[in-house]
Amino acid sequence: MDWEALIVSYLLGFVLLNILLVLMAYMTWFERRLVAFFQDRIGPNRTGPFGLLQPIADGVKLISKEDIVPANADRLIFLVAPLLSFVLAPLGALVVPFGDSITLFGRQIDLYVIDINVAALYFLAVGSMGVYGIILGGYASGNRYSLLGALRSTAQVISYELVLGLSLVGIFILTGSLSLVEILRAQQRTLILGGLELPNWFILSQPLAFVLFLIAAVAETNRAPFDLPEAETELIAGYFTEYSGFRFSFYFLAEYINMIVVSLIAATLFLGGIDGPFIDGVWWLVAKAFIFLFFYVWLRATLPRFRYDQLMGLAWKVLLPLALINIGVTGLVRLWGIGAL
Amino acid sequence: MAIEVLIFYLLAGVAIAAAAGVVLARNPVHSAVSLVLSFINVAAIYVVLRAEFLAVAQIIVYTGAIIVLVLFVLMLVQQQDLPEFHGGRPLRRAVGFLLGLALLAEVAAAILTRSLRGAPGSWTPEAVAAVGGNIQAIGRELYSAYMLPIQATALLLLAATIGALFLARPELIEERLAVARRLFTISLAHPRGVDTLQPVAELPAPQDGQLKPAGGDRSLVMARTAEEFTEQPAWGESRR
Repeated sequence: MDWEALIVSYLLGFVLLNILLVLMAYMTWFERRLVAFFQDRIGPNRTGPFGLLQPIADGVKLISKEDIVPANADRLIFLVAPLLSFVLAPLGALVVPFGDSITLFGRQIDLYVIDINVAALYFLAVGSMGVYGIILGGYASGNRYSLLGALRSTAQVISYELVLGLSLVGIFILTGSLSLVEILRAQQRTLILGGLELPNWFILSQPLAFVLFLIAAVAETNRAPFDLPEAETELIAGYFTEYSGFRFSFYFLAEYINMIVVSLIAATLFLGGIDGPFIDGVWWLVAKAFIFLFFYVWLRATLPRFRYDQLMGLAWKVLLPLALINIGVTGLVRLWGIGAL
Repeated sequence: MAIEVLIFYLLAGVAIAAAAGVVLARNPVHSAVSLVLSFINVAAIYVVLRAEFLAVAQIIVYTGAIIVLVLFVLMLVQQQDLPEFHGGRPLRRAVGFLLGLALLAEVAAAILTRSLRGAPGSWTPEAVAAVGGNIQAIGRELYSAYMLPIQATALLLLAATIGALFLARPELIEERLAVARRLFTISLAHPRGVDTLQPVAELPAPQDGQLKPAGGDRSLVMARTAEEFTEQPAWGESRR
C-alpha cells in the first residue's frame, strides 16, 4: 500500500474541507448582500468592513443558543439527522479535480483528492444519501409541518435525481468514462467547428443536458424556486421547524455546502473546470463555480416558488422525456461517428 | 493480517450488527435506518473488493431510492396500523420460527457446499485494466454475454410500470378524458383548455332606485403640482 500517497490524499481532503467551510460561511454573506442589492436594500454592513465579520457573528450566536429537543420527538434520530446532512454535504467535492499534477519535494502530487473511476456516480450517490438528513429530521421532529416538508422533499429529490443522473449520461457516452479527471481531459481538447476553434467544453456539445442539469441541481439542493420542503408560507420552514441552535445551523450549512459542491461539479462537467484561456488553473474553476453561485442567488431573488404539483409535473412530464431524448440523440451521434472525439 | 482484512472485518461487523438492529428495533423507522447503515457497510465492502461500480449502484438504488420509498410509506401510515413487530398469536410465532430456521438452513447449505474461493473467471485484474477499468469491463460483459437477461429485465420493469399506470388510472370516462387533456401541461390545477372564457349570462339591468348617485359635488381636478392638489377640499369638506 502506498502510504505516502494516502497521507497526501488525506491532507488534501482535510485542506479542501476546511476551505469549503470558510467559503460556505462567506456564501451566506454573499447571498445576503446580493439579495439585498436585488431588493434595493443595503444588507448586513455593520459587523466589520462591508459586514465581512457577519458570518462569524452569526456562527457564535447559533452555537451559543439553547439546543431544544421537542417532547414528542424521536430523540436519537432527532439529534443525529442534522449531523448526517452536514457530514454528507461536502463529500461530493472530494472528486473534483483542482488541477494537473505538480512536482513537489521530488514526488509527483496530483491536485485532486482522489480519482475514482465512478466519480460522477459517486457524486450522485452522495447526493442521494443527503436526503436522509431531511427525511429523518422531518420525521423525528414529531411535528406535522416538518413531516409534510420531509415528504415533499422525498418525492422531489427522488424525481429530480433521476433527471440529474440522466442528464449526465450524454457526457459519459461522449467521453467513455465516469471519472471526472478523464472528463476534464476530454474537455481540454479543441473542438473545430467549421473555421472556428472552440474549447471542447460539454456545454457546447451537450447544451440540453446542461440546462437539465442546472434545473435538476437547483431542485436537488432544495433552493428557490424549488424550495418546497422549506416553504415558509405553507410549512413554517418545513423539516427544520423544530430545530434550534447549532443543529439548525447544520442544516443551513449543509444547504450552502451543497450549493458550492454542485457549482464545482457543474463547472467541471460542463464548463471545462480548470481549462481556460491563458494559463489553466484552479482560478478558472473558482471563477466558473462563482457564476453558478451567483445564478443561484439571482434565481432566489427573481422567481417565486413553484406549486407542488407543478414541481412534480415539470420533472416527470418535461425534464425526464427531454433527458431521454438527449441520451438517444447522443448515442446515435456517437454510433454513426459524427463528432467523434 | 493485511489491512484490507482488518477493514473487512470492521465493516462486516457493523453490517451484521445493523442487520440485527433491523429485526430487533421496535420502531419501523429505526429498522429502516438500520437497514441503510447495513447497506452502506456492504457497499464499503464492495469498495474494498475493488468493485466500485457495484458499491455506487448499491448506494444509489438501495439506500438512495428504495429505502427512501420505504420511509415515505412508513411516514404516511399511522403507527397503530402497522402489524405488531413482536409477539402475535402463538401459531404465527411458531410458523415464523420454522420459516426462519428453514431460511437459515438454506443459506448455510449454500455457503457450506461452495468453497470460499471460486474458480477464477476470464476477467483477471489484467483483463479489467486492459479494457479501461471496472465499469468498462462490467459494461462489456453485460451488453455482450448477458444481452438476453438485460432485455428480459427491461421488459419486466416496463410491464411493472404499465401495471402501476393502469392501477392509478381514473375509473370514470370523464376523469380519463380530463387527464388526457392535461397530458402536456405542467400544471394539474390549471389544465389547458379549462380556463377559457365561458359565455356569461346577461345580468338584469339595475332599477333606478338601485343606482347610487354620483359621489359628492367635487369636481374632477387635474393637479399639476402638490400645492395645487392640497389646496383642493377633501371629500365631504364643503368648499368655502
